[in-house]
Amino acid sequence: MAVKGPERWSMGVGVPKGLSGAMGAVGGLFSMGLDAVKFMFVRPFYWREFLEQCWFVARVSLAPTLLVAIPFTVLVSFTLNILLRELGAADLSGAGAAFGAVTQIGPTVTVLIVAGAGATAMCADLGSRTIREEIDAMEVLGINPVQRLVTPRMLAAGLVAFLLNSLVVIVGIVGGYFFSVFVQDVNPGAFAAGLTLLTGVPEVIISCVKALLFGLMAGLIACYRGLSITGGGAKAVGNAVNETVVFAFMALFVINVVVTAIGIQMTAK
Amino acid sequence: MTYPRIARTLAQPVGLLSRIGDQTLFYGKAIGGTPHAFIHFRKEIVRLIAEISMGAGVLAMIGGTLVIVGFLTLATGGTLAVQGYSSLGNIGIEALTGFLSAFINVRIAAPVIAGIGLAATFGAGVTAQLGAMRINEEIDALESMAIRPIEYLVSTRIVAGMIAITPLYSIAVILSFLASRFTTVFLFGQSGGLYDHYFNTFLNPIDLLWSFVQAILMALTILLIHTYYGYFATGGPSGVGVAVGNAVRTSLIVVVSVTLLVSLAVYGSNGNFNLSG
Repeated sequence: MAVKGPERWSMGVGVPKGLSGAMGAVGGLFSMGLDAVKFMFVRPFYWREFLEQCWFVARVSLAPTLLVAIPFTVLVSFTLNILLRELGAADLSGAGAAFGAVTQIGPTVTVLIVAGAGATAMCADLGSRTIREEIDAMEVLGINPVQRLVTPRMLAAGLVAFLLNSLVVIVGIVGGYFFSVFVQDVNPGAFAAGLTLLTGVPEVIISCVKALLFGLMAGLIACYRGLSITGGGAKAVGNAVNETVVFAFMALFVINVVVTAIGIQMTAK
Repeated sequence: MTYPRIARTLAQPVGLLSRIGDQTLFYGKAIGGTPHAFIHFRKEIVRLIAEISMGAGVLAMIGGTLVIVGFLTLATGGTLAVQGYSSLGNIGIEALTGFLSAFINVRIAAPVIAGIGLAATFGAGVTAQLGAMRINEEIDALESMAIRPIEYLVSTRIVAGMIAITPLYSIAVILSFLASRFTTVFLFGQSGGLYDHYFNTFLNPIDLLWSFVQAILMALTILLIHTYYGYFATGGPSGVGVAVGNAVRTSLIVVVSVTLLVSLAVYGSNGNFNLSG
């Protein structure tokens, strides 16, 4: 493959000019995603790369996750408690905190961190490898970069997002407890009793699925932008990372709306 | 050095302190330079306002910051309505979805999401630009041409950002309202009058003003953080990428913290809110 830039992962179909840039990028992303999924079942699977990437994403994401999750939890439970107290239902604040943490805060914070911290670092790494022509060298050596680099990274981002989601949910509930009980004088027993009122196993499963999808998508976008970098030099890498953040956030918000709607449909009855 | 490990441990707090001092110095210089920038670099500011609201490169192709922030708030407003309608429906008060939209959108969703959108689009863009300039030694070139680099590059961006944020945030808030209304009225089939009644009753103009204050403060801190990371990027092309990532990570934390602190400061622990009127 001597082709450079986005054409490298294109589907080889001509698209009208003007649209071709955007459509080609989306198509390229999907075709690379398909390849990456295919290589999950093709041996050899690069376990070592997978574990290293897991550790890497976890390391860059852990501290920011906690630092974002704690204020976010306090913010949401503060606003919810104001509302519930006005309704005369302050005893339900446990239900509100658990529901908010599991269905929205957990996946959203996970997305933001995995896209903002993990995916950016991944894209910077792959982007600088691409402009140093290391990827071309790999291909010359007969190693498929999708199999060797993209599949392990995508799965690592997914796994770490999945695990971080549980962490954020726990931080959310514990933080909500402390803030509600010690600052806003909610009855601790009522808080604990309310936890499972609105949130059952289906909500937890949906939350985990969301986080997993978010992670896979963020990893894939980061790898795509990193490998399809155009031009050379510092500006190209910086722009690629910038676009990774933007596209990852956009994709993740769309997934959030869709999965939320599907989840509610499925758990309604 | 005889005891490298002890020396390193002792040097750590000193390094931390000097980093904090360095940042404070930079922020002071950048903010102090705004009058100079406003008087001398007016043309640059106008160009930057256009660039901030429309984006640069590939991002401009899909509509820039405006479209991206709008898109994120639309998606959030929609999610809020979907989640709110079904949760309130569980306890039989789905009529209050309009109230939820007026309350949560103004106080949490719009400021946080707009801040995240700004950090991702123009924040990260600024870091990438300034980082590339630093690596290509363009900032040193400015200095040797006797153009003040901080005023020319950083202060102009702060002024431009402050001017661009108000219309941007207005659009974001309006879109989040529209998305909530559309989802509730057209997709779930609630009566439009019912939604509007609760929405109008509980939309507090003072809350909206405070929400603007949150957005402006957030834009300022985001710009300061992102310019700092870009201005002092090191380590070649990959260094720029790393700087962008670090800046985004830091500003995510700051966005949420600023929203929390401002809402605690403004609303107090009893919330400045009366359901019964």
